[in-house]
Amino acid sequence: MGTSITAGSLLSLAVTVTSEQHVERVLRKTVEGLASQPGVALVRIWLVPSVHLPNAWREGAHSQEGKEHLRLVASAGNPIKSPGEDWSFLQGRFSRFKLNVGKVGQVAANRHPIFIKDFAPGDSWVAQPEWAQREEIRSFAGHPLLFQEKLLGVIGLFSRRPLEEQEFAWLGLFANHAAIAIANARAFEEVAERQKAEAEARELANGLESKIRRLVEANVVGIAIWNLEGAITEANEAFLRMLQYDHQDLASGRVRWTVLTPSEWRDSDERAIAELKATGIFQPYEKEFLRKDRSRVPVLLGGALFERSGNEGVAFILDLSEQKRAERALRRSEVFLAEGQRLGQIGSYSWRVATDEITWSEQLYRIYEFEIGAPVTLELIRSRVHPEDLTLYEKMVEQARNGGSNLGGNFEWQYRLMMPDHSIKHLHAVARASRDQDGQLEYIAAIQDVTARRMSEEARDKARSELAHVARVMSLGTLAASIAHEINQPLAGIVTNASTCQRMLAAAQPNIDGALETSRRTIRDANRASEVITRLRALFNRKETAAEWVDLNEATREVIALSLSGLQTNQVLVREELADDLPPVLGDRIQLQQVILNLLRNAADAMSTIADRPRVLLVRTERDEGNQVRLSVKDSGVGFTPQAADKIFEGFYTTKPDGMGIGLSVSRSIIEAHHGRLWATLNDGPGSTFSFAIPYTVDGLAGAENRVNRVGTGAT
Amino acid sequence: MQSPDGRGITQRPMVAIIDDDASVRESLPDLLGEFGFSSTVFSSAEEFLASEAVDQMNCLVADIAMPGMTGLDLQKELRIRGHKVPVIFITAQKEEAVRRRALDGGAMGFLVKPFSDTALLEALNAALGLD
Repeated sequence: MGTSITAGSLLSLAVTVTSEQHVERVLRKTVEGLASQPGVALVRIWLVPSVHLPNAWREGAHSQEGKEHLRLVASAGNPIKSPGEDWSFLQGRFSRFKLNVGKVGQVAANRHPIFIKDFAPGDSWVAQPEWAQREEIRSFAGHPLLFQEKLLGVIGLFSRRPLEEQEFAWLGLFANHAAIAIANARAFEEVAERQKAEAEARELANGLESKIRRLVEANVVGIAIWNLEGAITEANEAFLRMLQYDHQDLASGRVRWTVLTPSEWRDSDERAIAELKATGIFQPYEKEFLRKDRSRVPVLLGGALFERSGNEGVAFILDLSEQKRAERALRRSEVFLAEGQRLGQIGSYSWRVATDEITWSEQLYRIYEFEIGAPVTLELIRSRVHPEDLTLYEKMVEQARNGGSNLGGNFEWQYRLMMPDHSIKHLHAVARASRDQDGQLEYIAAIQDVTARRMSEEARDKARSELAHVARVMSLGTLAASIAHEINQPLAGIVTNASTCQRMLAAAQPNIDGALETSRRTIRDANRASEVITRLRALFNRKETAAEWVDLNEATREVIALSLSGLQTNQVLVREELADDLPPVLGDRIQLQQVILNLLRNAADAMSTIADRPRVLLVRTERDEGNQVRLSVKDSGVGFTPQAADKIFEGFYTTKPDGMGIGLSVSRSIIEAHHGRLWATLNDGPGSTFSFAIPYTVDGLAGAENRVNRVGTGAT
Repeated sequence: MQSPDGRGITQRPMVAIIDDDASVRESLPDLLGEFGFSSTVFSSAEEFLASEAVDQMNCLVADIAMPGMTGLDLQKELRIRGHKVPVIFITAQKEEAVRRRALDGGAMGFLVKPFSDTALLEALNAALGLD
């Protein structure tokens, strides 16, 4: 090794570094190569930011920092006083230089080299005089790194021997080469980075492409490639299937955007194209496409241009038929519900108790006669409530606010509204408590306008009383038939006997004995007919309905005799069990017979549908405890339900399809007028028994007197 | 004993009288006897059906409204059993619906009580094919 830096060694180093393609290696080899030259203590390179910051280099612009700062990027040297020190260290006090500051800053600012051949001991401009002294630094050479007149940085060299002028000059030439090497290496790196970026982009694109291909082939959504002229160049199966086209149609160019779009949707398409041209994409919107058969399919459409300023793009198309159908079905069911509510005169509402938020159905507005859509408040509802029902209404609201726990959360009540024209509406409300999604108390209620029903109930009651009159007339008709039967029976005997008598006497040999017998029968039957007529007259003559002593057995027999034919027609077998020792009762014979007749008829009616057992009717009279006589009518009919037991004596209650339901209530009032009672019990077997009991004596004397009379009557 | 037409007792037409009314059962046999018919009385349809007479009668004179089996029930029962014996109904209740049912069921007469002897004789003659 020589004692000075030679041109040859520098040329060799220059060739080495210029072959490097990485800036970092150029810098390292440069400083290390120079540091190994004779007498060299330390070599450093500072670069401007535009060079050491790759982006700044690429952009070709100087940052603010670049104008003012140099950054230490490479360092190498040979410490003698402290051999362990690392002089390749890049941080610390001299890692940055401002332009014009220090020797390095001056070189950069002036783009002019500085050469200090030999330091004077204690030279004031040396930044670290003690370091320079300790390391025996004698000389400094600083050269700018210039490439195509652009400053890349500064290279500085400290030497332990005074450098020759020639050495300084060669170092200048070397600095030019180093600058070229740095620029070249940077250029290589740029290319490599760009290639790498491009490779990454390619890889990314490949990945994306395969993802898109999977999306296209999955046929979950319709996908079409199109251009701004309206042609559809490619499409997946889903798209074609949606619109009933095939790949041949597509290849033929027939499938164009305009062909697919009904005229009223052209405007929407125009807007989407305008958006595409402005932003490269368009926001998804709903439209309709025409299928090949010209039917329509609702779709959701979204898409983008492949390139911002390009002509071609992709569209994603979702078939909305199912959603639309569901929406229509929902709308229809809402309409049906509203219609059902209208027909049923039923409105519904929900009431969130905490917020008093009330939602009303349209029909409820109609019922309350509020303008549809008007906000509904409890106060507004209250204004319609009938004054007499306000207390009830407020009580219900209060209970509802408390959760209605005492009512199990369910309410049912009837109340009235008074409309502005003072007409009355009857409402029936049913409400159910529930918790909404926030856990708040909410009532769902249905309210029915039952005014019409109430009116018809009232009308029905009125009709019933009219019908009751008709029923009375009709029962007279039945009675008339009974009367005819009772009289015609003896009359048949009379006519037959009289005819026979006539024939016996008119014969060639008159049969006198036979004629006498038949005429005797004629007289007897005529008397019998007369008795029937007398009884009937008694039955209908109201003048004789005053209180009298009535033999209940006799009265019962008469009623049975009168109704027997009707009972027989209905195939009812009548059995009598009449007590021999029955005391007479004081009362209205006709009225009591009406009661008995009514009980018999009810019993017969109760058995009219019985086919699996005999229709047996048992009429029984007997002494009852407490000085009463009791009459009971036992049938084998359908009986009555326990629920009906209390009702059957009420007016207008009936289980018979053609009944009027007045008989038993009238009967009970008759019996009660006789200080007795009328009741019904279910039999152990089938059917029921209706009974009445009447006191037969007010005091012992009256009863005794009465018995004497009866005996006397019976004797005549 | 000879009937007015001179036929012997065994040749007299046999008529069954079925009625729950005692006065009819009492009076009608005498009248039928005057007509020259032999008769047997029954107080119910059930009694008649249970008797041997059911196969021997040339004609029935039956009430309609009777306890238990009615006259119309009897008519139906005979039809079911294949008896073609003619039936004349006598009833105390003139009801058109009943009359129509009886005649539709094949009754040869429908007499409302009280009926005249000649009406009964005409009905019997028609039923027995004697005129």
